[in-house]
Amino acid sequence: MAVVEIDPLRGPADSLAAVVALRRLADQLEDAEVERAMREGWSWSQVAEALGVTRQAVHKKHAQRLIAAGVDLRRR
Amino acid sequence: MVTRLAPDARSMVTDAEAEARAAGSSLVEAEHLLLAMSTRAESEASRALASVGLTHETITEALDGEFAASLSSAGISVDTGSLGRPSPEPPRRLRLSASFKSALERALTASAGSRQISSGHLLLGVLGADAGTVPRALRLAGINQSELAAITRHELDG
Repeated sequence: MAVVEIDPLRGPADSLAAVVALRRLADQLEDAEVERAMREGWSWSQVAEALGVTRQAVHKKHAQRLIAAGVDLRRR
Repeated sequence: MVTRLAPDARSMVTDAEAEARAAGSSLVEAEHLLLAMSTRAESEASRALASVGLTHETITEALDGEFAASLSSAGISVDTGSLGRPSPEPPRRLRLSASFKSALERALTASAGSRQISSGHLLLGVLGADAGTVPRALRLAGINQSELAAITRHELDG
């Protein structure tokens, strides 16, 4: 299992940059995996539950992008 | 303030949004502005960048390197090729990040006494950051930020 260990000898600049990079990684992963789930036929509610957020939140964040990408979102 | 942007600076701001979209980002960040500046040949900004070897390609390399280095300091190694490629944001206005807004504010300050905010002022705005992704990526690329700012000021005077 990967363990996140911030080397205490590094200063706050490195650790804060790690926070920025982790957020960016999480955003990228979320965009890609929500898209994959919706292409595989998941409902908004299922994706929302899996992410631990509301259906409204996940819809607001991803619907426009997925519609523009041609994902069929009817009856979800 | 937008009306005071010189034509090439205005194009760079527009291009920065395209860079953000291409990078799969929902925010326009200062690094996207830096990338946009490198592609407008014959601008003060791109001349200053090119003089220290910064092109779209080398800036992209530096940013990728910074991302990987920062993740690795958190003990995470990611093969970015293995990440799924999400579809880009649709063509609507992306939100501007704090780093982008700060760069614009500093560009405005740098342009005091000039008629317009030029591409050189924009670059000075981006280079005015002390911390964050751009300064880290530049350091990784072996660029002395204050030297590059001095070169930019020279371009502005020239």
